Amino acid sequence: MKRSGVILLLALGAILGIAAPAAADGVMSGGDVHVAQSLGDRDLTVIIRRVAEVPGPVHVDVVTHAGSPPGEVTLTARAAGAPTSTAKVVLGATPGFYSGVVQVDRPGPWELAVDEATIPFVVPAVVASPWEKTTYGGFIAAGLLLFVALGFAVFGRPGLALVPTAGMVAAIAVGVTAALLSPSIPPVAAPGTQLDPTYDNVMNPYERTSTADFSRPPVNLVPSLKGQDLVLSLTDGSSGRPVDDLLVHDSAFIHLVVVSPAGNLRHLHPVRTAPGEYRARLRDPEQGTHAIAAEIARRGGGVQLLRSRVDVSGTAAATPHDGKAELTEEIREAGRPSTITARFGERDLQPWLGMLGHMIVVGPVTGAAADAPIWAHVHSMIPPTPGLPDQPDESVAAYGPDVPFTYSFPLPGKYLVWIQVERDYSVVTVPAVVEVPAAKGVAEK
Amino acid sequence: MKRAVLIALAVVVAAAGALVVLWPRAVEAQPQLAESAQLRFVLTPASTKSGSNTFDLRITDRAGNPVPGGDVTVEPAMPRMGHAIAPITARQLEPGHYQAADVGLFMAGQWEITVSLSAERVVIPLLLT
Repeated sequence: MKRSGVILLLALGAILGIAAPAAADGVMSGGDVHVAQSLGDRDLTVIIRRVAEVPGPVHVDVVTHAGSPPGEVTLTARAAGAPTSTAKVVLGATPGFYSGVVQVDRPGPWELAVDEATIPFVVPAVVASPWEKTTYGGFIAAGLLLFVALGFAVFGRPGLALVPTAGMVAAIAVGVTAALLSPSIPPVAAPGTQLDPTYDNVMNPYERTSTADFSRPPVNLVPSLKGQDLVLSLTDGSSGRPVDDLLVHDSAFIHLVVVSPAGNLRHLHPVRTAPGEYRARLRDPEQGTHAIAAEIARRGGGVQLLRSRVDVSGTAAATPHDGKAELTEEIREAGRPSTITARFGERDLQPWLGMLGHMIVVGPVTGAAADAPIWAHVHSMIPPTPGLPDQPDESVAAYGPDVPFTYSFPLPGKYLVWIQVERDYSVVTVPAVVEVPAAKGVAEK
Repeated sequence: MKRAVLIALAVVVAAAGALVVLWPRAVEAQPQLAESAQLRFVLTPASTKSGSNTFDLRITDRAGNPVPGGDVTVEPAMPRMGHAIAPITARQLEPGHYQAADVGLFMAGQWEITVSLSAERVVIPLLLT
């Protein structure tokens, strides 16, 4: 009698253990998507917040920056075969966050249009992995078999009870094995970053593909001017087709750096207006040949730097950058790491494009910047700070004042350097010129 | 009575097995060896976790004799992030034995530590968890 009491207790414990909610979170729990967009005369950051449930709302924050004219933008979420959802966001005169909500009714590839700019994004589905199903299935089966065994024992057939007991042991073994081995199972190729997203592969991301190398061919960049807009046409270097698989990397599809003949820098984030076509407005351009460089990342991995030049028939006089910072430079000979630290007074810098600071390096210059052999984009990363989020958005103005950069200038000579940080929703650009000495006579390698 | 002893024994064996399998093991920091044309570098990190780290460096010639004096520089970089941090000059403890303290490896992942003594340089990979 005492023994059956113990067995009953054990069985109850097993049942209760199984009844705990099986919180299945799939590989694609997703995160916020931050995309910088140079949309017309505005510099915006569009933040698509994580989609919590489908069908459900998608919260979109539009962050305006200093100098953005007030007005209204229209957010539109669309997907093939789904109803289109629209929301209007009124942007005020003060820089900051303005929110809108659109609706999605299914997982899969979606497109968010902000006026004429379109941002492809993936709404993930919550799918339990096969090993999760095996684990839970094993334990549930063990619990049920335990009840069957208990039934046989209580109704006086202890011999028959052995059969479900053996089954229970096997089921527990299956569940425990799946649970212990699951951390070592390699992740599947994610739709959206490695595979082109479709409704089917978002709904079933555990379908394995035979592909092992997801990288894609290089891209050709052809710039042209349409009115005030710089239009970039991106085509595949192997097939000539438009390139429409850019990933958001460092919070933008394209990091476009334009250096004017007078040595002024613009760091723009062109908006996608058609497959393979991106646009950014060049406000008040100077006359002459501008050097341009675009950083992109294609689906499948790898970042590419595309350099080109474009002739601009502007009229505006060159307005020098007015950013100020105290620069501490420790320049070593070519090939060795040099450090440049910019000190920006107060500890109130905001993350810009997910980084504390950006340094654009062009050189060695003898004539036009477009002819310089080296073009680099150095980051100063946000130090992990206790008490602050890991990937803060721009509303956290608590960084700095020191912004350090380390870069090994590959060649000796004169380099043009621009350091960029964000403060009060305004990008501060500090220009500098760096002389890099030649390596000392010793043969290096 | 005998049965109780058997059960107790089984429980002890099961518990010991579980402990052996599930006991959290700290990853020992292993010495990393790299050789340049003339020198042999052995770098032992104090920890394999991200955060502030200390490198113990032994620099000998290819025959194993300690190399006296010289400027030893440690240049950490994280290739996947495209990020380098400022170089650090190592302190000499005794001939051929150096220490680079306060190396701020702030992120887990694959690092590349370039160690140089005058013109001799080696790159030592270091994986942090």
